[in-house]
Amino acid sequence: MSTVESRRRPLVGAGVNRVDGPRKVTGTAPYPMDFSVPGQAYGALVQSTIAAGRIVRMHTEAAERAPGVIGVLTHENAPRVGTGPVTVLGASPPAPLRNDRIVHHGQHIAFVVAETPEQAGAAARLVRADYEATEPLLDLQDPRAEHLVDPWGMDTSRGDTAAAMASAEVTLRATYTTADNTHNPLGLFATLAAWEGDTLTVHDTSQWPSMVRTSLAMAFGIPESSVRVLVPYVGGGFGAGLRAWPHVILTAMAARVLRRPVKLVLTRPQMFTSVGHRPSGVQWLRVGATRDGELLVLNHRSLISLSMEDNDYEPFASATAFAYRCPNVITQDRQARINIAVPTSMRAPAEAQGNFALESALDELAYTLGMDPVELRLRNHTDVDPRNGLPWSGKALLECYEVGARRFGWSRRNPRPRSMRDGNWLVGYGMASALFPYFAQPCAAQATVRGDGSALVRSAATDIGTGTYTVMAQLAAEELGLPLDMVRFDLGDSDMPNSMMAGGSGLTGALGNAVHDACRRLVRSFTELAWASPESPLRGVPPDDVQCTGGTIHPVGRPDLGESYVEILARHELSELTANGKSSPPVPEELGMSLAGAYGAKFVEVRVDADLGLLRVARVVSVIDGGRILNEKTARSQIIGGTVGGIGMTLFEDTVTDPHTGRIANATFGDYLVAVNADVPELDVVFVGEPDRGTATGTKGVGEVGLVGIAPAIANAVYHATGKRIRQLPITLDALL
Amino acid sequence: MRAFDYVRATDTREAVRLLAEDPAASCLAGGTTQLDLMKDGVLEPPRLIDITRLPLHGIERRGAALHVGALATMEELAADATVAARLPMVRESLLRGASVQLRNMATIGGNLLQRTRCRYFRDPTVPECNKRTPGSGCAAAQGAARMHAVLGASERCIALHASDLAVALVALDAVVHIQGPAEARTVPLTEFYLTADESPQRENVLEHAELITAVEIPLPSAAARSGYLKVRDRASYEFALASAAVLLVLEDGMIRQARVGLGGVGTKPWRAYESEHVLTGASATTATFREAADAALRDAWTVPGTAFKVPLARRTLVRELQTVSEVTA
Repeated sequence: MSTVESRRRPLVGAGVNRVDGPRKVTGTAPYPMDFSVPGQAYGALVQSTIAAGRIVRMHTEAAERAPGVIGVLTHENAPRVGTGPVTVLGASPPAPLRNDRIVHHGQHIAFVVAETPEQAGAAARLVRADYEATEPLLDLQDPRAEHLVDPWGMDTSRGDTAAAMASAEVTLRATYTTADNTHNPLGLFATLAAWEGDTLTVHDTSQWPSMVRTSLAMAFGIPESSVRVLVPYVGGGFGAGLRAWPHVILTAMAARVLRRPVKLVLTRPQMFTSVGHRPSGVQWLRVGATRDGELLVLNHRSLISLSMEDNDYEPFASATAFAYRCPNVITQDRQARINIAVPTSMRAPAEAQGNFALESALDELAYTLGMDPVELRLRNHTDVDPRNGLPWSGKALLECYEVGARRFGWSRRNPRPRSMRDGNWLVGYGMASALFPYFAQPCAAQATVRGDGSALVRSAATDIGTGTYTVMAQLAAEELGLPLDMVRFDLGDSDMPNSMMAGGSGLTGALGNAVHDACRRLVRSFTELAWASPESPLRGVPPDDVQCTGGTIHPVGRPDLGESYVEILARHELSELTANGKSSPPVPEELGMSLAGAYGAKFVEVRVDADLGLLRVARVVSVIDGGRILNEKTARSQIIGGTVGGIGMTLFEDTVTDPHTGRIANATFGDYLVAVNADVPELDVVFVGEPDRGTATGTKGVGEVGLVGIAPAIANAVYHATGKRIRQLPITLDALL
Repeated sequence: MRAFDYVRATDTREAVRLLAEDPAASCLAGGTTQLDLMKDGVLEPPRLIDITRLPLHGIERRGAALHVGALATMEELAADATVAARLPMVRESLLRGASVQLRNMATIGGNLLQRTRCRYFRDPTVPECNKRTPGSGCAAAQGAARMHAVLGASERCIALHASDLAVALVALDAVVHIQGPAEARTVPLTEFYLTADESPQRENVLEHAELITAVEIPLPSAAARSGYLKVRDRASYEFALASAAVLLVLEDGMIRQARVGLGGVGTKPWRAYESEHVLTGASATTATFREAADAALRDAWTVPGTAFKVPLARRTLVRELQTVSEVTA
């Protein structure tokens, strides 16, 4: 039991309702597309209809003459702008409209601004381009494609895989493929840009406002302090909002050139080409093991699709280096540049795909060995990080298996394929392990207590539906000893203290630690004021020996000797007191621990009508070690949402590219299928484990781990049901006929 | 969306007259196809004639048939008592179509006239589409086809007619009532549609300025059993990859009467006369059903992406024949 655990108070962990819930359900929460400013004009994008080549000539005359049109930007008249920063995700996207080169179908080639959105859209259809088209590379495995080798420096090699493979009693090789997926948040991405002189204010659909601020400042060569990015609400992100996309720069560019505020709302089809997608890939697995299931070799290589320009962080194979105890490991990731729109992180980036291959291969190995799949995983469990030999900061994976198997009724499984049936339906049970690696970036927060004893805590974070507003208010209320309704947490403004992205399952931990730090410092400031006052009951009390209860600071265990925030401020004639806090990612070597990230075990029952190829998910049990859970309700929602995304990825989601033109052939919600309610059964979610020992708040982040493992658990259940091993996602009905 | 004129017609004759005046005008009913296509820039009618106020909403029993006004909604028809009691196949086909929100908007006349969901047709930036631009080719037949047609299809066009309801209605020999500028006429639904290999650009026999006013559905005999099976990846809210509307009259294990419609496979709602021919007078066995299913798909025309639909449609039909007949052996 850690010190964090012993300090736990009832407010944190409780499934309190979202503090922003009433605004959301009454429709008063303003999403980016809801904002307007006086005098604004509307933008519409014109996109390339070829995938490779160059623009010979743009025809904009008809659009310029169309009703309501204010201006048309193309590469021929657009001002040159700078490129944004290099971030943890890599270099920023290339600037829009900078030359005549076309690298993918749907590339923005013109931006039309008009008085109404309808006029802008109609005029955009009038813009024509003459192209000099070249043959696009559209197949990931086209031998002509340029390969980026080890693009993130994360390739692994340990032990002697060749020798171990030669000596392994059991070997297995298999190839797995995964499709392109599109994030498709419900909220269409929107940008509203307004200039006042050289000062720029932007409402944008972003998961990272401070990065958008920096990108805009660099694009237009103005100080960062002259740019303000506002994102109070986001209608879903799933990773699509992690970059300052070309359309964001274009909107600000048009507003500057035309001296009008400009608003752009992407269309649903444009959401498929403008804000990234999960890249497709091929993975080659080679596994060697002893007859009794001890892993000797894991050789995991991938080839991942990438656009001709720009970059994407997506190391499919990397987690295979530390998922299990295995002495001989190779992981290698390669990216192939082809003529597609740039991919980007989508919920559980890299793990969604890599874990599908690894956990499918382990199921295949279990069948080869005649061993229970859970037993195989237990046998290769590791409590230390195989990369550095350090113990994990928290890993309750064994408990995940045990609790999951029990709740699911795994022991009722007859392991023989096609052995379980219900009428026309073959029944299958499958399972998989899941992890999502620890991730954090530096984060800052500011806490203020006002004269009436209420608190405002702020950071330039976003709440993409995860519950950031709520859990940070809970944390601050706990640290400050205030009831929840006396604490407001505010976010979504780049003028606030710098926050990390809402991504990588990192925000709750990193921001939570910054909020924790800010609140502790604020309490200390109050205590120091009181300590120096002759009249204060806290006079002489060491600042480290206090706690806060009900808006009062008092010596530990002596609430009767306390003094309230209100009294301290009044005595010192202060209207408020503020403190800043920050957090940085812990360093494993300093901690003596490897940061664990979240773990989980997924158990799935499927039904397959083998004659018709129908596949339905009947039950899912997810047991998650998410460290300390700040809010049972929002955390559960995260796992449920991830599971639904996992079902969609496994059964339906496939961004289809026309093989000749590179046009996305299913860029609508009628054609790109996501899971609907009828596809989602009752989802059992259980949290296990202890607060993580590596950080002050003990959280791990649960945004991603809910999706990881669903695909292989389903595929493994399909094998159990049908005897068919499906190594390709999505598993559509034609694969099962 | 391009600017257009909007006119609201108050009676059927006026609507027809307004249509006749403008060869480029279109009708607006539920709007679930028309407005989509206008937003996508596929259709750009200069004038929309709103027909939703016309007195064509009623559903009533007339003798041995159900008379359905063209403006009745899908949800209204599904909730009709006669449909529930006598036309289970119609009810099932309706309730497995679209979503409840769409069914509350979409009309029966509009459902019959719905345009294909082919994404090559629906994206005007694709130059090759014989349906949009006769003679330009078919990008879908060369491209990423999956939900496309295999019956009535050819390299000229593989656009699927995606209606579920129409599949049940062709099997039931429904009749379309049409009002034109000069006269009214009726056309059996089985003769209403044209296949894409005949004329990709023209999908039915309706002339401009003709309006569907009603659909007449003959009620099957009390001895008939029927059902509609829709097969798709998603459990709800997806067009059929294959579907089968089956009506059987059985007597002592023999099939006295058989009606078969196939969906998800045809460039028009497909009446499988070949299957009916095999079934009628034969004994109700799985072997008969398989033979009937093979007969229906004999002339299928596939591309790599649609090849799976041939076995899928066969199995779908066999399954529904088994379900309706309660014969699994």
